[in-house]
Amino acid sequence: MGPVSRIPVSRILGYRLFQALLVAVTVGLLTFVMVRSLPGDMAYRIAAGRYGYDMVSSDAANAVRAELGLGGGGAAALALWFLDLFRLDFGESVISGRPVLEEIRHQLGHTVGLSVAAILLSVLLGPPLGIAAGLRPGGALDRGLLVAASMLRALPHFVVGLILIMLVSAGLGILPAAGHGGTENLVLPALTLALGLGAVSARVARDAMVQVAASPYYAFGRVKGLSEARVFLRHGLRNVSVPVVTYLGVQFVGLIEGVVVVESLFAWPGIGHALVHAIFSRDVPVIQGTALVMGMMFVLLNAAVDLACLWLDPRKQAS
Amino acid sequence: MIASTIPGPAPSPAPVPMRTRIPRQRLIGVAILSGVVAFAVLTPILWPADPARQSLRHALVAPGWSEPLGTDHLGRSMLARLSAALRLSLSLALLSVATAAVPGVVLGILAAWKGGLVDRSLSLLGDVFMALPGLLLVLMLAAIAPNAPWALYVGISLVLWIEYFRLTRATTRTLIASPAVQASRLLGMGPAYIVRRHLWPEIAPMILTVGAFGAAGAIMAIAALGFVSVGVRPPTPELGLMMVELLPYYEEAPFAILQPIVAIFLLVLGLNLVAGRDRI
Amino acid sequence: MNALLVAEDVAVFSGERLVQPTTLSLLPGRPLTILGESGSGKSLLAQAIMGTLPRGLRAEGVATIDGRRLPLSSGAGHRPLWGRILGLLPQEPWLALDPTMGARAQVAEGYRHVRGLDARDARRRAQADLDSLGLAMAGSKLPSELSGGMAQRVAFAAARAGGARILIADEPTKGLDVMRRDDVAALLMREVGEGAGLLTITHDLALARRLGGEVAVMLDGVIVERGPTEKVLTNPGHEYTRRLIAADPAVWSGRPGAPAAGAAVLEAARLGKTRGGHRLFADRDFSIARGEIVGITGPSGSGKSTFGDVLLGLIEPDVGFVRRAAGIAPVRYQKIYQDPPSAFPPRVTLRRAIDDLVRRHGLDAGRIAPLLDRLRLSAALLDRRPSEVSGGELQRLALLRVLLLDPAFLFADEPTSRLDLITQQEIVELLAEVARERDCAVLLVSHDTELVEKVCHRRIRLGEEAPG
Repeated sequence: MGPVSRIPVSRILGYRLFQALLVAVTVGLLTFVMVRSLPGDMAYRIAAGRYGYDMVSSDAANAVRAELGLGGGGAAALALWFLDLFRLDFGESVISGRPVLEEIRHQLGHTVGLSVAAILLSVLLGPPLGIAAGLRPGGALDRGLLVAASMLRALPHFVVGLILIMLVSAGLGILPAAGHGGTENLVLPALTLALGLGAVSARVARDAMVQVAASPYYAFGRVKGLSEARVFLRHGLRNVSVPVVTYLGVQFVGLIEGVVVVESLFAWPGIGHALVHAIFSRDVPVIQGTALVMGMMFVLLNAAVDLACLWLDPRKQAS
Repeated sequence: MIASTIPGPAPSPAPVPMRTRIPRQRLIGVAILSGVVAFAVLTPILWPADPARQSLRHALVAPGWSEPLGTDHLGRSMLARLSAALRLSLSLALLSVATAAVPGVVLGILAAWKGGLVDRSLSLLGDVFMALPGLLLVLMLAAIAPNAPWALYVGISLVLWIEYFRLTRATTRTLIASPAVQASRLLGMGPAYIVRRHLWPEIAPMILTVGAFGAAGAIMAIAALGFVSVGVRPPTPELGLMMVELLPYYEEAPFAILQPIVAIFLLVLGLNLVAGRDRI
Repeated sequence: MNALLVAEDVAVFSGERLVQPTTLSLLPGRPLTILGESGSGKSLLAQAIMGTLPRGLRAEGVATIDGRRLPLSSGAGHRPLWGRILGLLPQEPWLALDPTMGARAQVAEGYRHVRGLDARDARRRAQADLDSLGLAMAGSKLPSELSGGMAQRVAFAAARAGGARILIADEPTKGLDVMRRDDVAALLMREVGEGAGLLTITHDLALARRLGGEVAVMLDGVIVERGPTEKVLTNPGHEYTRRLIAADPAVWSGRPGAPAAGAAVLEAARLGKTRGGHRLFADRDFSIARGEIVGITGPSGSGKSTFGDVLLGLIEPDVGFVRRAAGIAPVRYQKIYQDPPSAFPPRVTLRRAIDDLVRRHGLDAGRIAPLLDRLRLSAALLDRRPSEVSGGELQRLALLRVLLLDPAFLFADEPTSRLDLITQQEIVELLAEVARERDCAVLLVSHDTELVEKVCHRRIRLGEEAPG
C-alpha cells in the first residue's frame, strides 16, 4: 500500500482538534450553568457532605462557595471558568477534597483498560461471525446471527450486564459480579460492552460481506481463475474491513455511553463511575474533569478510526 | 422511414405493480409495539391501582389472582408500576422524537437548499451537539436540573434532532442536484412543489425509520439514567429504576426483576423491527 | 480446424424460456459476434456458456470446451476452466476492477495465483502487459483514477493473465466514447491474431463490423440470422437485421437543408468555464436561431453538457454572458435529459406529473391527447410511474412535457445514449420533426459524430485536443 500522504492526515487531525475544542466548550458551558443553577444552600449541603452535618460552620460553607466561584459577575466568571478549564485546573472534588486531576489519573487507567478489552473482544466476536454469515446469506448461521443480534440490540448495556450477573456469578459462582480493577473483575463488564458492540459490528460486517460478494469485482476475481479463498483474501477482506472500521467510529458513541453505565453497574472504579457519582452529588469540579476526559477519549478514538480508515482504504490516500 | 419501423402506439408490456407489501419484520414490530402500548394504556382502566401505595406485609408476593404480576419489595403492585413506567417511557420518547423531528427536517432542508453560510452554520451547530456522546450531554443536563423530567426531555431531543438534520440534509442535497428537480424548476415549478413531489416522498419513510430508532434510543437512555440513579427519582415508577430497586431481591423474586427487563426488551425490539433496515 | 468451444442447444429459463435452444461453435482465429439490443437475451446466452448465470436463472444444453463436455443444467464444472481456458472481459470494467487495489496488482494476480509464477515474475509480466497496452504509468493507480478506456485495457490484461485461450467479451464498448471503440476492437483482434477464440456480445454495429468473422443476430431470445459478418451486414436476409442496420446513424439519409432564416433566440459571448482545474472551454461565442438544430460533439469529459447547461442558465459561466431574446417567457427554454427516468418525479404517475404542469401554467389540457398521437404514445402509459415505462417511451413523454410549454429553445443532452439503436432513431427524428414544425431551436449534445452530422444544421466541437 502506498505511503500515506500528508494532506488528508492533517485534515483529519484538524477536524478532530476542532471537535476537541467543541467538547471543551460544551463541557465548560454546561458545567458553568450547572454551578450557577446550584441552589443557594448548595454550598452548605456540599460542606455538610464533606464535614458532616455536625461540623458545618458558616466558614466552611463560605470556603465551598469561594471554591465553586458562586460569587462574582457573569462574564468575568465565565472567562475565569474557561481559563481554568484550558489550564486543566479543575480544582478539587467538593466531596472528597482531593484534586480532580489526581483522581482522574487513577480512574483513567481502569476505564482505558475496560474499553480496550471491550473493543478487542468485540472485534474478535463480531466481524468474523458477520463475515461468515455474509458468505452464505440466508444460511443457518446468517439467520441465527440475525436473531441474536436483534435481541442483543434490543437490550441496553446495563440490562445485558444484569443478565450476565444473574447467569454467571449467581448461577455458576465463577466470576465476581462486581469489584475493583482485577483481571477476573474485568471479564464481565468487558463482555457486557463487547456483546453490544459485537452485535452491531457483526451486522455491519455481514451486510458489507454480502454486498462485496455480490459485486462485479468479486465475480471478476472468480472468473479470473482465483480460488474462492483467494478471492476472499485479495478482494473481500479489505473491502469489507473499510465499512466495518468506519462504523466503529459511530459505535464509539455507544461505547462511551456504555462505559458510564456498565462501570456503575459493576462498581468498576473508572471515570464513568466517577462521573455518575459526581452527577448524583452535583460535584461540579469532578463532573467537569470526568466529562472532559470522556469527551476527549471519544475524540481520540474517532481520530484513531479515521487514521485506520485512511490506512485501509487506498482511495482516501489518493484523494 | 419511421412509419415502417413503428407499428403504432403500442405501449411496452404492463409492468408488475410496484411492491407495496409491508415487510414481515415490520409487521411483527407493529404487533409487539401494539401489545406493549395496549398493556400500558389499558391496565389503569381495567385494573386501577395506585403504583405508589406500599404494603410491607405483602412484599414480593408472587403473581396470582389478587396481583396478576405480583408485588415488589415494598409491596407495591407490579402491574400498576410496570404500566405506569411504560407510559412514562413511551410518552417521553414520543415527545422527544416529535420535538426533534420537526426542527431536524426543516433545518436539514433549509441547509441543503440555501447552502453557503446557512448550511455551514447549521452544520456547525450539528457538530457542536455531536462532539459529545449523547448520554454525556443528557447526564449533564440532568445534573443542572435534577428531579425534572423536562431536563431528560430537552436533553434527549437535543441529541435526536441531529440525526434527522443530517439525513434530511444529505438526501435533499442529492435530490436538489438531480435532473428530476432541475427539470421541475425549468418547467416553472416552485419550491413548495419540489418539497411536496420530490423531497417529501423520499424523506417521509426515512422519518419513520429514524424516529423508531430514536424512540428506542430515548427509552434506553431514560432507563440507563434511572438505573444509575440520576434520571427519574423514586418513587416514580421507571423501568431502569425498577431494575436497580429489585436487583437485591432477584434470588427471592426473579419474576419481579424480569418484568421491567422483558418490558424494555419488547419495547426496543418492537421499535427496532418497525424501523426496518439497519441503522446507517 | 478444431472448434475451441461448441455450445449445443443452449437455452436459459427463469420460469419462462428467455433464450431458445441455440447452437454455436467458436473457431480459433475466427471471431464470433452476437449482435442484439438490450433484452434480446444475448448476454444470458454468453453467461450460460461461461457458467456465470445469475442466481434464479437456469440453463440447459451442453458446452464442449477444451475437449471437456459440460452439461449446463448442473451449473458446475466451469470453475477449473475460468482464467486458464475461458477468459471473460466484463461489462463496465470500471465496476469489475477492485476499487481498493492498484491496476498492476489486479493483473499480476492472474500470473501469480492462476499460472503459478512467483511474486516477482508475476509483477514483471503484469507490468509488461500494461506497457504494451500503453498503461506503463498506471500500474499503481486505482480504478477510480483511470479513465473508462484505461479501465477497459486493465480489465483486458487481467482477464487474459491466467492464460485463457477463449475470450468472451460482454458489451466491451458499453459506456465508451466512439473514439475508444476502435481501440477495443484492435485489442480484441490482437488476441484473435494469436490464435485465440473470441466471442463478443454487443449492440454495437460498428464493433461487429470491425471484428469481422461471423455474426449472429439475436432478437427475443432467438438467433434470427447468422453468417459471415461482411455478408450479413451488407446484405441482410432478415427484416429485423435490415431495420437494425437502417437505424445506424452512419446510413441515415443526409444532412437537413438550411433552416429558414429566423431570429436568434439565444446568444452567448466569450463563454469560459473551468472545472476541477481543467479548462472545459474558453472564449466561445454562440448564437442559435428559431428552427435551427445545432449539434455539440466531443469526447466524454469535454464539457458538452456543461456548455448546454450554461446556455440554459443552470450553471454560471466563469467568464462571458448569455442573453435570451426579449419577450420569450423563461419556461420556453427547456431541456431533455440523458437518462429519462431520472427527469421525472419518481413517486407519482406520469398523468399526475403532467397535470401538475398543466395546472401550474393554466394550460389547455385538451392539447395532451393530440400530442400523444403525434408522438405515437398510448394514453394508458400516463397511469404508470416513470420506472414502469420503457426508456424510449419515457423520452417521448419528456418531449411531450416540454412541448406543452411551446419551447423556443430546447437543449437535448445526449437524449438517446441510453437507448437502443432503433429507438434512438425514432427519438432523434421525432425531435428534428417537432423542432421544424414548431420553429423551435434545438441544441443537441451527442458523442456520436455521425448522428450529429445527419441531423444538425451545424456542429460545434469541444475538447478535441483533450487527452483520451
